[in-house]
Amino acid sequence: MRKEGPVAFGLICGLVVIIVTYFSAPALAKVKGELDQWYLIATAFAVAVGLVNLAQIHMRKINQKKEGWGYSIVLMVGMVGFLLFGMTVSSAGDPKFQWMYNTTVVPMNATMYSILVFYIASAAYRSFRIKTGEAAVLLIAAVIVMLGRVTIGEMISAMIPKWTSWIMNVPNTAGMRGVTIGATLGGISQALRVLIGIERGHLGGVE
Amino acid sequence: MIAKGLNSTFWLELVYCAAILVLISRARKGLKVPTVYKVPGLDAMDEAIGRSTEMGRPVFYSPGIGDLQNAQTLASFATLGYVARQCAKYDTSLIVTNRISVVYPVTEEIVKQAYAEVGKTDQYNPDNVRFFSEDQFAYAAACVGVMHREHPAASILIGGFWAESLIFAEVGSQVGAIQIAGTANTHQIPFFVAACDYCLIGEEIYAAGAYLSKDPVLLGALIGQDWGKMVSVVLIIVGAILATVAPKANWLATILKQ
Repeated sequence: MRKEGPVAFGLICGLVVIIVTYFSAPALAKVKGELDQWYLIATAFAVAVGLVNLAQIHMRKINQKKEGWGYSIVLMVGMVGFLLFGMTVSSAGDPKFQWMYNTTVVPMNATMYSILVFYIASAAYRSFRIKTGEAAVLLIAAVIVMLGRVTIGEMISAMIPKWTSWIMNVPNTAGMRGVTIGATLGGISQALRVLIGIERGHLGGVE
Repeated sequence: MIAKGLNSTFWLELVYCAAILVLISRARKGLKVPTVYKVPGLDAMDEAIGRSTEMGRPVFYSPGIGDLQNAQTLASFATLGYVARQCAKYDTSLIVTNRISVVYPVTEEIVKQAYAEVGKTDQYNPDNVRFFSEDQFAYAAACVGVMHREHPAASILIGGFWAESLIFAEVGSQVGAIQIAGTANTHQIPFFVAACDYCLIGEEIYAAGAYLSKDPVLLGALIGQDWGKMVSVVLIIVGAILATVAPKANWLATILKQ
């Protein structure tokens, strides 16, 4: 029952969702609505589990004064501070809560996102080396597309933006569509294997 | 009866699923199933884990930032189970990081179960399976910190990745880890191809569970996937010919749009 129960439950829930997607079934649509609510509630409890895990690891680090324990204090203060303050306000749209979020989380996210510029440069430096034929094609295509996206490309030659458009609209789109078709078919196959229970990794390794 | 605009989709999907079920049934009966082609990224898993074992450094694993509803995350679990068993067998430390709180208990259980399967339950370290944050870049920053502090010798990134993919790949390269990455998000595949040693492209991540376990039943399902692709290729070729020679009488497009 430990193996079959979750698989059967998953199959029933999956069939409900599939039937509601393809057919008009008001009764099952209500069931799907309930299942969506259950998922949200389970997610909320899972967030609590995650918070406990974070707190355990970082409190242990602080107690044992392991390397970087100062940052663990910053994390705990931030996490508990947001949590306690969030409980005192009426909603996430509260101006004070929004101010806290906009002045801390938003700039930090923007910082991490902006680091991508430097990582793109370092990745380009490492990968754009002509070791093989494919690497040469990658380098040439990348140079054309990069030049075509900025005004200097058109200044060098009026053909560069046209070549850029052709590269992006024809071979790139064709390749990406092919990958998308394959990935979609793979996703459907994966979902089917999970629903009928022959793939059980999501059950926590139950064989 | 079928919702508007989904008629063709429903029948095509039904035939595709039926083909997969037929092949699974053949495999269960012990009938011969065609072999799958070699996937270098999956073959390199053992090499990566072996490298970590020899160097005495951990393996870093990320199942992506997709939630439990994402098929890529489910596919990642199969790979995680295999990697965890191998790490447990060779006494190699495995660090698994999670962005989604719902995914964290699943990965924890997978790793714990893997250690139990090889009889090394006492060596399982719960602190090595970590939840960081539901925020995308907070998770990315935490993983960067882990990589710089723990210096993994292997970095395995299988699942749904978005903008943080290149951050992981580049930092993995900076710390000298061998990197195996795979995602079905087409906008991130180029970054992984450029920055990682091995890349699983799109559907190859869904093949991981079958490929690594060599289970004939799962391999049978893989072949069904290939049949679906062959049908898609035929439809594309026929559709392209019809769109070129008779664009106003493209009956295939009319049928598929129903």
